[in-house]
Amino acid sequence: MMQSERELPAGARIALAVVLSVVLAAAVLALSTKDFIPALGQFFFEPFANRYFFGNYIADSVPLMIAGLGVLIAFRSRNFNLGGEGQIYAGAIAAGMLALSLPEHSSPVEAWLFAALAGMVAGGLIGTLSGILKGFWHVSEMISSFLISAIVLNVGDYLITGPFQDPASNFQTTRQVSSQLLLPRILAPSKLDISVFIGLALIVVFAVMSKHTRPGFELRVCGENEEFARYCGIPVALYQSAAMGISGALYGLAGALIVIGPQARVMRGFSSGLGWSAISVALLAQNSEAGILPSALFIAYLKAGSDHVMIGSGVPSEIISILQAAAMFFITARHFPIRKRRRP
Amino acid sequence: MSTPIAVLADILKYTIAAATPLLFASIGGLFSQLAGMLNIALEGLMGLGAFFGMAAAGASGNLAIGAMAGVAAAAAGSWLMGIITIKFKANLFIAGLAVNLLAVGVTTVLSQSWFHTKAVVAFDIPHLMPAFPAFLGRIPFIGPVLFSQSMLSAIAWLWVIAAAFIIRNTRHGVRIRATGMNEEAVNALGYRPDRYHMAALIWSGVGSGLGGFALGVSISAFVPNITAGRGWIALVAIYLGRGKPLWVAASCVLFALAESLSNYVQGFSAVPPLLVLALPYAVTLVSLIAAAAGKEE
Repeated sequence: MMQSERELPAGARIALAVVLSVVLAAAVLALSTKDFIPALGQFFFEPFANRYFFGNYIADSVPLMIAGLGVLIAFRSRNFNLGGEGQIYAGAIAAGMLALSLPEHSSPVEAWLFAALAGMVAGGLIGTLSGILKGFWHVSEMISSFLISAIVLNVGDYLITGPFQDPASNFQTTRQVSSQLLLPRILAPSKLDISVFIGLALIVVFAVMSKHTRPGFELRVCGENEEFARYCGIPVALYQSAAMGISGALYGLAGALIVIGPQARVMRGFSSGLGWSAISVALLAQNSEAGILPSALFIAYLKAGSDHVMIGSGVPSEIISILQAAAMFFITARHFPIRKRRRP
Repeated sequence: MSTPIAVLADILKYTIAAATPLLFASIGGLFSQLAGMLNIALEGLMGLGAFFGMAAAGASGNLAIGAMAGVAAAAAGSWLMGIITIKFKANLFIAGLAVNLLAVGVTTVLSQSWFHTKAVVAFDIPHLMPAFPAFLGRIPFIGPVLFSQSMLSAIAWLWVIAAAFIIRNTRHGVRIRATGMNEEAVNALGYRPDRYHMAALIWSGVGSGLGGFALGVSISAFVPNITAGRGWIALVAIYLGRGKPLWVAASCVLFALAESLSNYVQGFSAVPPLLVLALPYAVTLVSLIAAAAGKEE
């Protein structure tokens, strides 16, 4: 086709998306604050200004790495998991409930493992449900995962503000998880903890799995050509359900690690927006596990910048939504219509 | 105390009111589905319609101007989506997600800069005109349920009927449907499928804009996440309607009934309100599954 000649290679598109969203960030700042130059500094340099800010920035990239991997696995099987918001919430609440029910002197390692597992199971079950609905009844997983997530968010709000509300707090939050059971911090005084290594390890594991194992290969085939996969005897419905399940489990894990890490409790609505950000991460990664790391760092950078600008210049941190939308637009645009002279 | 009949009348009255935004958005979205470009950004477009519609209505003191501004904003959003997907060959779903995010960002940033808050913005707007003369409202039961509805609810049903007519009987509607069924045939006949893709997306923007504006008017305010998933529920209504405007409308009424019931139950029951809020989504999910399972057989 003629169009393919003008199609941009993936690398150029990613570079363009990154550059254009950074330019747009500057433009939005110019429009929304009078103190343009200080705002620019707050946005682009403050995340690196000191140990504290830098550690917090990296800490915010961890859930994006893990949840971003989750989105990517679903993409592989041609599934859109739009239920991330609810899956993170469910994972966080399951992990929180478990950590709060443990006796004071439990072994921390056991607590981490069980909390992480609880989060993965909670998110995974929710994801699997959409996968099964798609695999067996052809219910659009996009819509079902979103609706299930909406239900989960309401139920979660109820649990946090009802039975699990901390009676001593004025905020809508559960009690605090005992500090001995939290993941050890690195780079104090920032909130960065060892979950960053879990994120990195997962990226490596998934990268190896998808390239060098049979399930990884078969999942690719399912996503790329469903008919052909069926012809080869690959259980497509099973792979689709499993991919949605793993996707949900990773989202759940991301939520769980926040609860036994930086946040140490489950606050109402704490994960709002994280699910959508994870989708931006996976899109920027362009279907590559290794790409998840720089993408998560980039989206977390935009987020950190937006937060700093809000504190410093009062620009709403929701400018992150505009920047992410722009990045998504740029990354998915495959073809740039450069006007050519038409031949007579 | 209210009699069971009065309670039923109340629930049905609120059902029709709650169906109004859904009808606008889903019938608009139906055009996009028929053209083979199902617009998943109804949620975000409704948010744009609510924000710009209310801001303009508040500033001008005129609901018609508000409605036009809401429609214009949402149509601009869907036009942007059309440009990105048609001209730049972007993935339609991803472009839709991007528009949803964009709407959240734009409405919040502008809310902060125009009204100095990211939370509730209350607007002093004129009352909506009733659709029917007051004496009809005094007819028992039917009066309060049907004839006490606002002008916007009446317009929503006119919108359904008009869309049904356009889709079935006009050249424009036939070409939109043809584009969805067989793009190449449309091309071969000398029409440009792109134009009908764009037109269908704009229709979805217009509907969502009106739907969002109706939501804003119903509470005389703009609040963050005012749509609360209604754009997605409207999408399910489109799925369930299988291309038929009247079936889409019927699905909207079903979901509105769920919303109305959960509102009513919230008032007195022992069930915590936050759990009751999940009911409309649950009903939507169950009907989606039921429809899909029914199709399989």
